[in-house]
Amino acid sequence: MNEVFSSPFFGITLSILTFEIGIWLEKKTKLAIANPLLIAVVLCIAVLELFHIPLASFDEGGSVISVFLGPATAVLALSIYTQLSRLKKYFLPVLAGTVVGSLVSVGSAYLLSRWFGLDQVLTDSLLVKSVSTPFALAISPNIGGIPAVTVAAVVLTGILGAVWAPLMLKLFRVRDPVVAGVAIGTSSHAVGTSKAITLGEVEGAMSGIALAMAGLITVLISLFLAHPGR
Amino acid sequence: MLQIGLVFGVCLLGQIVSVLLPVPIPGSVISMVLLFLLLFFKAVHVDRIRQKADFLLKNMAFFFVPAGVGIISQFSEIRAHLLALLGVVVLTTFFTFGSTALTVRGVMKLQELGRSRKRKPRPLA
Repeated sequence: MNEVFSSPFFGITLSILTFEIGIWLEKKTKLAIANPLLIAVVLCIAVLELFHIPLASFDEGGSVISVFLGPATAVLALSIYTQLSRLKKYFLPVLAGTVVGSLVSVGSAYLLSRWFGLDQVLTDSLLVKSVSTPFALAISPNIGGIPAVTVAAVVLTGILGAVWAPLMLKLFRVRDPVVAGVAIGTSSHAVGTSKAITLGEVEGAMSGIALAMAGLITVLISLFLAHPGR
Repeated sequence: MLQIGLVFGVCLLGQIVSVLLPVPIPGSVISMVLLFLLLFFKAVHVDRIRQKADFLLKNMAFFFVPAGVGIISQFSEIRAHLLALLGVVVLTTFFTFGSTALTVRGVMKLQELGRSRKRKPRPLA
């Protein structure tokens, strides 16, 4: 049976099936919590745990799917290109939003970690949680964080952002698609962007720009966070 | 096939540049910039990648499923602090979202104010 589970088709089929269940539930219930990504992740983990299937077996297929993350991020360039006139017009607000958002993200992560009684190493691991994994993984060890904890926080932030985006848009009374896209991309990187794309092309493009800019700005911020002597 | 080859080729190039750069910028972000430049300078026409780009963008959330499932491998490291960690994640995401949205909206309004003022004729400073 193990040979079946470690075939790449197992991970791929399980991912597609659970994601389709998620799409079906989202359509049926129209609830924000019925997010296809969230449901697929929870169901996949449940299946792996239930049948004692090692993550490595799932990843035979999972890694094939992950390959497409790079190209999917790259083709955001197309959305940005088609929204170029809007971006030119709103460059200043977009820049200001990503700078303020990134500072608030790092600052509030620091203060809240302290408030919740987390130690220095865990705090450092959470500082860069709002940028996508490759950015965060490059920064985290430099400022004294544990990469595994950072990855977990980044992924949780992304999924939370994708699930929460519609609710937060309502809460902050955001109607402008530019504002929506930048807020989603800055607070929940590429995973949030995948949700922004479903809201509209402007939202997707702005979220894509914001995820890149927030990542770069956070790299800059991290230069000031490096602990001397570590 | 040529479409997907072009996109993957740009990604490979982005990866190469990412490794060569002294600052940590992910290959996917560099690929995004490279592809944008190719489109901007009309080296690649939009229609040539439109179809595959739409496929990738439409299914982007799906491509994150394995990354999400991967969290279970970090579970032993985070389980002791799971609640605090979730608290930090939830609240910072909320604050980041709010502060970004309010800033973008505020600066947009300032910009409009500036534009409407400019329309009135006045001597150049």
